[in-house]
Amino acid sequence: MWKKIKQWLDVRFGLDAILETQVRAQILDYRIPKNTNIFYTLGFLTVVAFCIQAFTGIILLTCYVPHPDYAFTSVQDIMTKVPYGWLFREMHSVGSNLLITIVLLHMITVFLMGNYRRPRELTWLGGGLAFIIIMIFGYSGHLLPWNQMSYWSTTVVTSMPTAIPVIGDTIAHILKGGDHITGVTLSRFFALHIAILPAIFVTLIGIHLFLIYRTGISATPFGIADKEERPQSEYKRKGHPDGYPYYPTFFKKQMYMMMAYLAVMFFIITFLPTLYSPHDANIAADPFKTPHDIRPAWYLLAQYQFLKIIPNKFLGIALQMILVFVFLIWPFLDGKEEKNLMKRPVLRGVFIVLLAAWVVLLYWGRN
Amino acid sequence: MRNIIIAVAIIFLLPATVRAGYRQDFEKEFLTKTWAGVQMEENVCISCHASDTMKPGYREITEEWRSSWHAQNNISCEDCHGGDPKDPALAMSPQRGFVGVPTYKDVPDFCGKCHIGILASFRESGHGKALKSGGVSPSCMTQIKAGGKAPNCVTCHGSHNIQKASIDIINEQLCTKCHSYERAKIMKQALFLTEDKIGRIGKSIEALKREGIYPETDEKNLFSTQAEFRALFHTVDANIVKERTDEFTTRLDQIDNNVKATYQELKQRKNFSAFLMLTFAGMGIVISLL
Repeated sequence: MWKKIKQWLDVRFGLDAILETQVRAQILDYRIPKNTNIFYTLGFLTVVAFCIQAFTGIILLTCYVPHPDYAFTSVQDIMTKVPYGWLFREMHSVGSNLLITIVLLHMITVFLMGNYRRPRELTWLGGGLAFIIIMIFGYSGHLLPWNQMSYWSTTVVTSMPTAIPVIGDTIAHILKGGDHITGVTLSRFFALHIAILPAIFVTLIGIHLFLIYRTGISATPFGIADKEERPQSEYKRKGHPDGYPYYPTFFKKQMYMMMAYLAVMFFIITFLPTLYSPHDANIAADPFKTPHDIRPAWYLLAQYQFLKIIPNKFLGIALQMILVFVFLIWPFLDGKEEKNLMKRPVLRGVFIVLLAAWVVLLYWGRN
Repeated sequence: MRNIIIAVAIIFLLPATVRAGYRQDFEKEFLTKTWAGVQMEENVCISCHASDTMKPGYREITEEWRSSWHAQNNISCEDCHGGDPKDPALAMSPQRGFVGVPTYKDVPDFCGKCHIGILASFRESGHGKALKSGGVSPSCMTQIKAGGKAPNCVTCHGSHNIQKASIDIINEQLCTKCHSYERAKIMKQALFLTEDKIGRIGKSIEALKREGIYPETDEKNLFSTQAEFRALFHTVDANIVKERTDEFTTRLDQIDNNVKATYQELKQRKNFSAFLMLTFAGMGIVISLL
């Protein structure tokens, strides 16, 4: 039966040729550096996690109503009345937080291994922009359940741009669709979450993957030596002819990480279902009742705390924007030849201090 | 390239020095500001009563109200006293419904504007009849202490610092201000089991909410059952409470069963997701062994 279908398709568009030239040459014969580690799978895991988000998101979309009067109730209906609605919602909610964690880990490990360096500056830039989009994804999705936590944390976060001189109020006004968080804000965030951001993210990831394919996979500076021997002034793809084949060696690693990701996701759903949803997340949004403790989602906590401790609000925003800008264009600023961070004490020190500061601010912001 | 970045950073940071403010201003403007539209409008009753020009006794009212159950449920000054909280000139205008402080006898009608069921029961009660007659009711005459006034709502619940009602309001210290504790004790015993059940179901519903489930119908049913039961209690007639306790117990059992069924459902969900977790963990182990 399968043979007949294959033959039928082959006659129509040359399936055999595609399988032979594309699948075999591009995937099965693809070579991976010998010294790759488990962290090399984080990019693949990001794509898997995003696909899970897209799938569960589409399921939720069939029952969710983006209107202030029905949003909270529709989410509750998904949790209580829709068959297995709770499963898809939990997967989407936990998955969004895990996705941000994975992208963050991916960025950290790429930085530690110096894999952002020439000729991969654009790959880093694309990945960095995708990370920002993922954060906006999480932030825009945060408002949709229309509960106290989402309503008030969005109120605070959408007010942050007011710190920017001249155009700050306009930005905040555009984000909110008025002076306050209303149904207009919900519609805007909904459109952003389901239509605009997915298109931007898929485009960025497409560019990111294309660049990885064209430049070839970078080897780690640790373990077996693998020097980037290629001319600096002309294009040459890094092929790793002496490396391991992608299939089955690296494919197995990717599948293993995918299973680990799903196991962690269901561990959280089973044993820590309220990890990302505090009590206020289960109370319908009430614009007339300000909760005592308004906090944004964990991935914005450090930024929020940073704003709280810097006495001038514009200075706080400006410093953060500069940090983000430097982070995005870092490959263009880093002119040193040495790739191994262990042999670069100053950069290593700065990186550790920044990471520690982020952790401290995050913990501080929680309390 | 680096010089360009530094130059951009300096230009970007320059406005910060122009707009330099202080931490207090920042917190006031940005962090501790009340955000919602209605709350952003100042309530003139509160601002005036909290000002230094007000007598100390009147100033305390705002503080008492802020910690009250009414404040937690957005019941503000004008909801009870009328008036216009947005306009200082009309805040105490009778044309805007301002009624000020009710007389002692009128307090039940004042509270009963919202607590309708309780007002009806209170009027039928010994407490209510005594208040209406201007002193004591025939049934309480022998027990009420000499010189004591018949009770109104404030006697037991307080006024501006009113807290969430509970069975603990019936206590020897409070009741013996007017009469012996014996009858009140019988009433408290009659209420105890039902109140305890209401409390337990309430906690279960709160726990469900923390688990991400919002049992709206059960919560509403519990609220109405509790309200009706408490209205019944305001008859201060232990016999009536005992007679109708079975009816309330049945209603509470129904709510309790629904809540328990939801818990059972939650348990099944946990089992299912634990099964998925183990499946993926197992597949991961198999892949690593291949």
